[in-house]
Amino acid sequence: MAIKEFKLPDVGEGVAEGELVSWAVSVGDAVSEGDIVAEVETDKALVEVPSRYDGKIAELHAEEGEIVPVGSVIISFDVDDGAAGGEDAPTAEADDTVEESADTDSDEAAAASTADGRVFAPPSARKLARELGVEIGAVEGTGPGGRVSDADVRAHADAEETEESGEEAAPDAATTEPVGGTADAETTSTTTAAASGAGADREKTLAVPATRRVAKELDVDIDAVPTAETREGEAFVTEQHVREFAEGGAEAGEPATAAAGSATGDQPREETVPYRGIRRTIGDQMAKSKFTAPHVTHHDTAEIDELVAAREELKATAEEKGSRLTYMAFVLKAVTAALKEYPVLNSELDEEEGVIRLKNYYNIGIAVATDAGLMVPVVKHVDQKGLLQLADEIQELATKARDRSITRTEMQDGTFTITNFGAFGGEYATPIINHPETAIMGLGAIKQRPVVQDGEVEAAHTLPLSLAIDHRVIDGAEAAQFTNAVKSYLAEPTKLLL
Amino acid sequence: MSDTQNLTLVQAVRDGLYTEMQRDESVMALGQDIGKNGGVFRATQGLQAEFGENRVVDTPLAESGIIGSAVGLAIDGMKPVAEIQFSGFIYPGFDQIVSHMARYRTRSRSRFTLPMVLRAPYGGGIRAPEHHSESKEAFYAHEAGLKVVVPSTPYDTKGLLTSAIRDPDPVVFLEPKLIYRAFRGEVPEESYEVPIGEAATRHEGEDVSVFTYGAMTRPTLEAAEDLAEEGIDAEIIDLRTVSPLDIDSIIESFEKTGRAVVVNEAPKSGGLAGEITAIIQERALLHQEAPVKRVTGFDVPVPLYAMEDYYLPNAARVADGIRETVEF
Amino acid sequence: MVVGDIATGTEVLVVGAGPGGYVAAIRAAQNGLDTTLVDKEAYGGSCLNHGCIPSKAFISATDVAHDARNAEEMGVHADPVVDVAAMQDWKEGVVNQLTGGVEKLCKANGVNLVQGEATFVDDSSVRIAHGGEGQGSESINFEHAIIATGSRPIQVPGFEFTADPVWSSRDALAIDDAPDSLVVVGAGYIGMELSTVFAKLGVDVTVVEMLDGVLPGYEDDVSRVVKKRAEALGIEFNFGEAASGWEETENGIVVATENEDGEESTYDAEKVLVAVGRQPVSESLDPENAGVELTENGFIETDDQTRTNVENIFAVGDVAGEPMLAHKASKEGIVAAEVIAGEPAALDQQAVPAAVFTDPEIATVGMTEAEAEEAGFEPKVGQFPFRANGRSLTTGESEGFVRIVAEAQAGFILGAQIVGPEASELIAELALAVEMGATLEDVASTIHTHPTLAEAVMEAAENADDQAIHTLNR
Repeated sequence: MAIKEFKLPDVGEGVAEGELVSWAVSVGDAVSEGDIVAEVETDKALVEVPSRYDGKIAELHAEEGEIVPVGSVIISFDVDDGAAGGEDAPTAEADDTVEESADTDSDEAAAASTADGRVFAPPSARKLARELGVEIGAVEGTGPGGRVSDADVRAHADAEETEESGEEAAPDAATTEPVGGTADAETTSTTTAAASGAGADREKTLAVPATRRVAKELDVDIDAVPTAETREGEAFVTEQHVREFAEGGAEAGEPATAAAGSATGDQPREETVPYRGIRRTIGDQMAKSKFTAPHVTHHDTAEIDELVAAREELKATAEEKGSRLTYMAFVLKAVTAALKEYPVLNSELDEEEGVIRLKNYYNIGIAVATDAGLMVPVVKHVDQKGLLQLADEIQELATKARDRSITRTEMQDGTFTITNFGAFGGEYATPIINHPETAIMGLGAIKQRPVVQDGEVEAAHTLPLSLAIDHRVIDGAEAAQFTNAVKSYLAEPTKLLL
Repeated sequence: MSDTQNLTLVQAVRDGLYTEMQRDESVMALGQDIGKNGGVFRATQGLQAEFGENRVVDTPLAESGIIGSAVGLAIDGMKPVAEIQFSGFIYPGFDQIVSHMARYRTRSRSRFTLPMVLRAPYGGGIRAPEHHSESKEAFYAHEAGLKVVVPSTPYDTKGLLTSAIRDPDPVVFLEPKLIYRAFRGEVPEESYEVPIGEAATRHEGEDVSVFTYGAMTRPTLEAAEDLAEEGIDAEIIDLRTVSPLDIDSIIESFEKTGRAVVVNEAPKSGGLAGEITAIIQERALLHQEAPVKRVTGFDVPVPLYAMEDYYLPNAARVADGIRETVEF
Repeated sequence: MVVGDIATGTEVLVVGAGPGGYVAAIRAAQNGLDTTLVDKEAYGGSCLNHGCIPSKAFISATDVAHDARNAEEMGVHADPVVDVAAMQDWKEGVVNQLTGGVEKLCKANGVNLVQGEATFVDDSSVRIAHGGEGQGSESINFEHAIIATGSRPIQVPGFEFTADPVWSSRDALAIDDAPDSLVVVGAGYIGMELSTVFAKLGVDVTVVEMLDGVLPGYEDDVSRVVKKRAEALGIEFNFGEAASGWEETENGIVVATENEDGEESTYDAEKVLVAVGRQPVSESLDPENAGVELTENGFIETDDQTRTNVENIFAVGDVAGEPMLAHKASKEGIVAAEVIAGEPAALDQQAVPAAVFTDPEIATVGMTEAEAEEAGFEPKVGQFPFRANGRSLTTGESEGFVRIVAEAQAGFILGAQIVGPEASELIAELALAVEMGATLEDVASTIHTHPTLAEAVMEAAENADDQAIHTLNR
């Protein structure tokens, strides 16, 4: 707030003073520029004095009836900073803007570009337009006749900018969480994993050229060959290291992507991708499992409105304890409970010995897709762990699998596997059993689907189930019964408390 | 703050001579047409007018005499800069170089050294007749007792020439005439040295080390630019001195990248590209991920106009070599 | 003895050192580009050496003589003797001063100057053939090239300039003494300017012109003023006649013409000046080697950044097309240099002013009334005669007028035509008005000094709104 002093302006005709006949305002009044604040009488006339400022009357410096010399302060105004009125005193008479309207007929409608597409703009404005990348014909001119000035060009350029940034506002619509609620931990595909111990991952490796040749022949990435030897302070690899590593059949690097052929235009007729390393291992395992066990898949759908509600209820509590409560934790529980009732699905066939081993422990593997390929970390003793503990463990194992810090033990000794392809979408599939287990449960996407309740079609949350069994060991009826059990636990999760 | 000038490579030769001759009275120049005529490439223009006929000497057409005289002058306290008009004409004076110029220090047990410079325009690409396009730096590199310097920029030219003149031992200073006037660079007016035996990294990279010098530096840099778009990050090292080679820089770069390409216009066999390859495998074998590629001229005399462009490495050939090395 | 071809490299090669070329070279160098400027003759091109400057020098000199001889009204009695050889020397001195200036400016800006004739080898190199001493030829490799090779007088078949009595404008300006009589073929601006010069030197001048009047391209009421004065100077005009041939006679030559009906006429004279126009100098450059395309008439087509069809090659000035004016060349030269330097430059001028240095002078910029109408504007025109201008009367030169063409709605000035004293100078104000998008009001309400000829400009603007003071409005 600032104080502005308003002096009695020259009221005309060379008069040196006037009588302040009456105030039109009082202290504290809010006054705008131009408002009449007082009447002053000269020898010739009674004149209305307009305010020069926007502000509040802070003080009146003359009494009514007082003779006031021209130029003496008659009012003190409280003005907002920056609200100071113009310097030119509007004359007592008129407050019209002095400029004659150079814009005669205001509706010449942007005469700035008229017939012939002609733009009326000085050379400096045209140059500025070029520098700012503005099309001068598109600029609205505010000068007389629509003439375009530098300021007009700049204003146009600024307006264009804000438009553009507005368009980019759309956030990533990427649905990071699949509706399955099983988040990152369980994005999988329908296969089993093959991973055993991880290899090295160096940027630089020393080796004699002969060694590099061997590595090449065996399709081994020399930077991945583990070694404890060093030369000159850098990791050093010998031919033996390379061969050992190759035989380990470990993940010798990712399958290379196709050669960088020119992307656009000519596509080669074929691209060759090496079939080795993890890919090959997975392939071998898949083939072995599928071609040994006669697979039968049983499909069904669990109605899980109650489960959804239950999870919702428990989610908050879980978060307080620092856990992410996913559906998978519930599924583990439900499956384990059902396995207890139908132990034949938690078994292993030993053809040599001629026995079926029914396991009394419940180590459920959860298939995880990682950059290095399919891995199946195993949650041990699911029956002995609470929901939150399971949720945490699932999370931990998945993370470890992804950053390749998972150990062999953590991926061994599974008795049953769950694969959640539904994280990617889809309803039913025919998963391949994780040898040497005898059954695998595939989960489809949790979605609202039409179900019939009491003769009416309703929308309810459903979870499609695909159970593949080794028919040498398990029969269709058992498969169905097991599945029913799982369904019933998922439909009424409170039963798990029993 | 000294001023800089925008000079071509040959103008930098002149400026280097001028600056050094001003600074040191014992520096003198001799050669064919260098005095009155200012040199057929204007490398010594105006020097005789400035320094007089005793310091800028027009010699007869006699390479052996020019070099031999320079040896004699150098023994006795002068610092001669002898010019042979084209490197291809050095051969009549080759005996003087290898029998005497290279040997005085050892012959006299260091009692005498020869602070002389033998400068000659060298290299092809200028549509010249026979003998005028030679690139035989290997001959001089193979002779112990000689330093061999090949600048590639105006700045380096003046700086290396200054170092060469001040060097107590003989320096063969080969000037790539293809790029004598091809571009200008900033050259300080004052006196300054660029050390002999030190390479310069023209472009840093991670994928492959490319060693080059002289006129070949430009197509190599061009190739590197093109390859950058393909995702190949090449490290370009301008050797600047061909003998002694900056082995440390070569090995340091090679250990970083594990791959190398050597680009020079000399014939392939018996050339410095092979020397560099040997050094690399000697000292950094374990780092080697691909054979060292040599992009060079061919084992034939430099052809005449119609075929000359096929002989000299160009950006495309260099790029192919680099690609091959990276993809090994 | 130097063998081999060591090419010089440069960033910008400018071929031709006329007002297009040398300006481009200096601007390019100012922008930090390594620039080389080549010309086969003197720096400054036709403009400085054989055109604009020499002709204006002669015009000024002959005007002095003529005015002095005809100033009796003012009380000045004189009969000056004109020493044409001395005039030539003086003119050469002026030319040398200017060309020397161009050379100095170029060098001071770091432009490399090369003398020789350039031909393209491909789109990144030229071969320069040196005329005089020095190495026979050299190669220059360039990143960008600006072609500014200008134009040369059109040679009419049968009137080869190599013949002694046949003059081009260049020959006419190289004289050491004036002929007794002269036939001028072509009543365009060059023919008219030179006819006036020779008439004032006392030469018997006869003009033959194929079209119907003088200075085609200018409005009738404008050229009429000039024609009248020319006739008053003793120049004889013959319209509708095309020059068909000439022959030597005992005392000179006889020039034959034909009209459209095939009728012949003959004119005796000492010399014949052929000024029928100029054509671009382009083919001799071997532009096809660089891939640069020429139009049918030999011009090089360019876009509004002065680029040719080859991305790194530009063309400016007469060789790039009409109008063939030095100031247009200079503007294009600047744009070309700036575009090469990476600036967002372009040719975006609204109009190029032009002047004819006849007696009286003519100068125009922008649209005529007819052109404005054709373009879709509703024209509003103001005019003011010099005879109503005080200053004009004090100089004794009061023929002519200022006309301003504006558009009716907002009053934007679209063009102007001036015929009269100092027209070439006065037009600058109106050229600025056109470029700025100024209105009649802007010009009319700007105070113009009194007494000057420029007041006529102000009053012409006022007249458009019927507000001129010193003349009856419409």
